[in-house]
Amino acid sequence: MKTLTAGQLEQLLAVLSTSWELRLTILLPDGTRVIGSPDDGPLALQGGAVSGKPTAAFFPQLGTVFASSEGELREPKAPERPLFVLGFTPRDLACLRFIDRFFADGWRDDIYFRQRDGAVVAGLSGYCGPGGSLIRPAGGNCDLEFFRDGSNWLVIPYSEAGIEIAAKVADFASPEARERFRQASVQLPDENETLLLRASELLRANRVPDYFWSEIGDRCIACTGCNLACPTCTCFGVQDWRSTRQVERSRMWDSCQLDGFMREAGGHNPLGSEGERSRRRIHHKLAADPEKWGEISCFLCGRCDAVCPTGIGIVAVMKELVARYE
Amino acid sequence: MIDTPRHNSLYLPIECEIISVIDLTSGEKLFRVRRSDGVPLSHLPGQFVQVSLLGWGEAPISVASSPTREGFFELGVRRAGTLTGAMHTLKAGDTFGIRGPFGRPFDLPRLQGQDLLLISGGCGLAPMRSLIQYCEDRPAEFGMITILYGARNPADRLFKDELAAWERSARFACSFAVDSISGGDCFSGSVGLITALIPPLHCIPDRTVAVVVGPPAMYRAVIDELHKKGLSSDRIVVSLERQMRCGVGKCGHCTIEHLYCCQDGPVFWLNEIEHLRGAI
Repeated sequence: MKTLTAGQLEQLLAVLSTSWELRLTILLPDGTRVIGSPDDGPLALQGGAVSGKPTAAFFPQLGTVFASSEGELREPKAPERPLFVLGFTPRDLACLRFIDRFFADGWRDDIYFRQRDGAVVAGLSGYCGPGGSLIRPAGGNCDLEFFRDGSNWLVIPYSEAGIEIAAKVADFASPEARERFRQASVQLPDENETLLLRASELLRANRVPDYFWSEIGDRCIACTGCNLACPTCTCFGVQDWRSTRQVERSRMWDSCQLDGFMREAGGHNPLGSEGERSRRRIHHKLAADPEKWGEISCFLCGRCDAVCPTGIGIVAVMKELVARYE
Repeated sequence: MIDTPRHNSLYLPIECEIISVIDLTSGEKLFRVRRSDGVPLSHLPGQFVQVSLLGWGEAPISVASSPTREGFFELGVRRAGTLTGAMHTLKAGDTFGIRGPFGRPFDLPRLQGQDLLLISGGCGLAPMRSLIQYCEDRPAEFGMITILYGARNPADRLFKDELAAWERSARFACSFAVDSISGGDCFSGSVGLITALIPPLHCIPDRTVAVVVGPPAMYRAVIDELHKKGLSSDRIVVSLERQMRCGVGKCGHCTIEHLYCCQDGPVFWLNEIEHLRGAI
């Protein structure tokens, strides 16, 4: 375990920028913290989870599939340098681990792995949450972790790439700093995690009636903010853009909260009501994914609850669901 | 850090050349196609391809011919949207792209040795035709084969010449129905719903498998009739239509609860999906 001052961390990032394309937690001019290029804003590691989908670093909102002109199909090139991404909280890292599995399973999604292969992912934890609150360490799911300890950062490597980067840091952490990290790593009971399991059990036991979803659906304005912010939402549409010189096929995030999401050319729509669509959003994470992947695919990052204008993010819905049907 | 070897994108279409185009109805055409590189499609009955038209996108289309008919494959395409509308303007010699074949095919090993009850409605006959042709070409592998087909009216029936040939064939017992008939129509089958064709059938439930492919509205009524004939859900096969955008289980548009229709289906045994919401 190594230690860095804030200034030394910036120096380390400058060194890393010669080998990797950096994606860091930065502050945009409008005041939002996002994972982006350091050219677009100053480093802003403190404040907790960034707004927006952090997994967009590897699964961007809009991505080229190929371009075609004069009978030739051209795939976008892989990045010249692999990505170094710093800004995932431990919950975000769990989301990334989940979508890594998703995109690798069966047909391996080469468009996702064009960005993901070779990338180094660094987690953020420690006393860098909102207002300096503690974010418990991830303890894995990443190449290395940066843990905020007072005004310093502890560097904890997990993978070979992480060990290689940590070797560039000169100073070792003091025994006291190591002890503070150990104490912060003790996992305490989390009320929402318990709630998540209870809601999942109710859904899997089919104990939630349709009228509950109709009520939730009535409150949905189909803004799609939940899907667009969710780190484990991976649905996309495919479209062609025609210009005079070429056709570009791209894929873009899609939302199961839209009426046309599943509508077929013949008119049949398996998700034909707001209630069905609201059920799909929650049920898929809490019941369908556990069936397919063996784990719930909501890791309680809180983004859907933060962005939903009508208060039906996943935590809000599962609280209501457990209160009514358990 | 994840590190794996690179390969060609699974999202790149492969060029195909149209050998011929035939009008099936006023709104449906049959495209006979081969890969431009001469490589066989290597599909199995029940699979689909993602048809790719540059500038128009992609759409999932069932393969309508059997792999036993070599040198080409066929796609029955209803003009339903912009991509299929553009496809209807293509002619012999034109090219377009495909990806695939994708999806789980009909479970031929479990169908072999069984009497087959092949029930299709509307353009569900296109994917069913791949199985019917397979049975035609491998007659020794199956027991008695009954073909039921329903359409809106006589003119809307697909593959009219083949329907007549199957009706004449000693290999098949055929019954056809249309929802309505008007003056001048030449049609010797029943007028009414396809479900009415099931009760008169003689079938031995423990050696019969029913295969159902049709519009979504058809499934429940047909399955009810099959259950009345004593066929259990593990002897009923359905092929489901969904809006697949990728064909490889990633885009999320074809999920049925935890299943992905493009990969876990489109062909399912009924007992695998009848308990899943929205499946049929």
